[in-house]
Amino acid sequence: MPIVKNVTCPICGTFCDDIELTVKKNKVVDVKNACAMGEAKFLNYSDPHHRNLNPLIRRNGTLVETSWTEAIKKSAKILAEASYPLLYGWSSTCCEAISAGIELAEEIGGVIDNTSSVCHGPSILSIQDVGISTCTLGQIRHRADLIIYWGSDPYSAHPRHLERYTAFTEGRFQPSEWKRYVSRLRGVIGKKKLERASQLALMEEFSVPPITGNQFPPTLETEKERKLIVIDARRTHSAEFADYFVQVEPNKDYELLQAMRMLVKNEELEVEKVAGVPVGVLEKIVDVMIGCKFGVLFFGVGLTMSSGKLRNIDAALALTRDLNFATKFVIMPMRGHFNVTGANMVSIWQTGYPFSVDFSQGFPFYNPGETSAVDILSRDESDAALVIASDPVANFPRVAAQNLVKNPLIVIDPEKSATALMADVVLPSTFVGIEAEGIAYRMDGVPLPLKRVVKPPKGLLSDEEILRRILREVRKLKRSQRRSNA
Amino acid sequence: MTVSMRPKYLFKVPVNARNISPDAFASQTIDKIKKFEVWEGNKKRTLGELFEITGESGETPKETSIQVTGDLRRVKRIGEAMTEGEITIEGNVGMHLGEKMKGGTITVTGDVGSWLGAMMKGGTITVKGNVGDYVGAAYRGSMKGMMGGAIIIYGNAGNEVGCFMRKGLIKIYGSAGQFVGIHMHNGTIFVQGDTEGRAGASIIDGKIVILGNAASVLPSFTFDDVKKKVKVDGEEILGPFYSFTGDLVEKGNGKLYVAKAKNQHLDFYEKYL
Repeated sequence: MPIVKNVTCPICGTFCDDIELTVKKNKVVDVKNACAMGEAKFLNYSDPHHRNLNPLIRRNGTLVETSWTEAIKKSAKILAEASYPLLYGWSSTCCEAISAGIELAEEIGGVIDNTSSVCHGPSILSIQDVGISTCTLGQIRHRADLIIYWGSDPYSAHPRHLERYTAFTEGRFQPSEWKRYVSRLRGVIGKKKLERASQLALMEEFSVPPITGNQFPPTLETEKERKLIVIDARRTHSAEFADYFVQVEPNKDYELLQAMRMLVKNEELEVEKVAGVPVGVLEKIVDVMIGCKFGVLFFGVGLTMSSGKLRNIDAALALTRDLNFATKFVIMPMRGHFNVTGANMVSIWQTGYPFSVDFSQGFPFYNPGETSAVDILSRDESDAALVIASDPVANFPRVAAQNLVKNPLIVIDPEKSATALMADVVLPSTFVGIEAEGIAYRMDGVPLPLKRVVKPPKGLLSDEEILRRILREVRKLKRSQRRSNA
Repeated sequence: MTVSMRPKYLFKVPVNARNISPDAFASQTIDKIKKFEVWEGNKKRTLGELFEITGESGETPKETSIQVTGDLRRVKRIGEAMTEGEITIEGNVGMHLGEKMKGGTITVTGDVGSWLGAMMKGGTITVKGNVGDYVGAAYRGSMKGMMGGAIIIYGNAGNEVGCFMRKGLIKIYGSAGQFVGIHMHNGTIFVQGDTEGRAGASIIDGKIVILGNAASVLPSFTFDDVKKKVKVDGEEILGPFYSFTGDLVEKGNGKLYVAKAKNQHLDFYEKYL
């Protein structure tokens, strides 16, 4: 059986590139190196229950099968006639398709927005305001000796992030911290055994002092090896791996970040606790941050989407900037979809702006809050939409989803998503990274190729091909409109 | 000389009407005004197609007053960069009202969208209703917000009032959201009602006065004193007020005055007196 090596995984922003697939009779039968999410996608993507294999069009309230020509013509007509069409999604497809999408948005005078407007959009706004000190994941793997995850749970959302790039990876200059983790785990198991044995012997409640409690471990400041700190509103799975876990009161991240900046700048705090963390503990954490050789702060949607949004990131970026006066410190957003960074990159190089670009007046205009998908839909301003590689009906606020399906809706998606079920035209595409090639950007901005490992089902087109066909049809319509006007 | 306008129908998509301004209307006949270009979504239209326009415009912008009646919640950029004259809006109006305005007056009886008076340099805006976010703020990525003039709001305002404000006055008689005066460099903001906290985040200079509940004061502010009264635009406001200086993380010297009466949770600061 042929084994395809070095396959990139089209799931999360970690974008692992070491997957090995065994292919038998045009089907993936075995997956090596992938996490549970990656494996599930490679093995089950072709399940016919979840997949559209023919273009669909809504007639008398029901979706019926139709030809590609009719579906493309209908889509082009909807988009060409609309006064304020919205093109949304993009983060789970390849850069080539996004590029075609931006061309289409300019042609029809629409608004093109990618999913970063509902995840790391605030991060981008802050980066534009403050600036960012960052690097690639390879640098972090080999050099970082302090790793902080803030408002992000890599164990659940980016399962191989810890093992590939941060705490549990063997870097050239930094050994992995897995030995310390294993010994800590042994301690926890021993403690449980001791407690149980003494309860049986003494027949009463007996408690051994905690191994990993909320006390600040005294060795952390002097520890030479890699250290992992997790800061979050709740004790996540990733927190179990950490050398120290800081529980911040929900929606108080901004206060904690500003307090840390105060301490980094040698200013005195007049309060005793910030966001539930005693100032004494905070001072020790800041000491560890200043004392490291190469620190990195990964932040997730827990920071960008909690109260304060972009201002939380303002503070986090400024904290990194301040720390760089004392040591080397970098910061990186934990991007969600495998090509959300690519969606921003392509949008920047073609329009000048990373997301929420409005072409309605013929030139690119950018103002998230005004031209972002959720805001446009909540205010009910758009009159048609094209959704690609995304499922806003399942994820958007109810009002926004209601207003989205009220107007003509075109969906380009390989799967039967909630949005596809509500659409007027469904254009089924191939799975990029499995059935189609392309380029995508990892969370640190490194472009990697997506491989084609199996042949797509007969008659299905790639995202890019569908968009190019719609674009050709729109141009034809506009030409005939101009001729009739003349 | 007044030009009266009324929308012909409720607009479904955003209308970009930066031409509705005394500077554009002055010394023009109604027929010419009707031919002014506006954008309805991605379609180019004329003002006459979207609005019923009557009356007469003045010789100069100063003598021109525009009265718009109706639901304008999707009409953006009215009075952009106006220098003189008057605009009165009876009803709700959309975003970017009076953006980059240099002089004259705008009065609104209803609610206003976000970016009201963003980057304005002079003139006065009065709003009887509520206002969205980013009052007197800067455009995305810019460091220069409101640079002069006055904004008076009788209703409530959203988040980030006076973001990157450089000069001028914002008075809110209702309540305000989070981050009042964030990144402010100078100027005065007065809030009679409550705020949702984090007032004065990253300010460098300027004055923020909160008469209602301030929710929280950032740890990066240092407590100075308890003051009996504070001056806002020449008017004395009776306190007492807790007075703070900040934002220390930006080496700022801005002043934050929070009324003692509604902020009992801050009384622990009095031990530093």
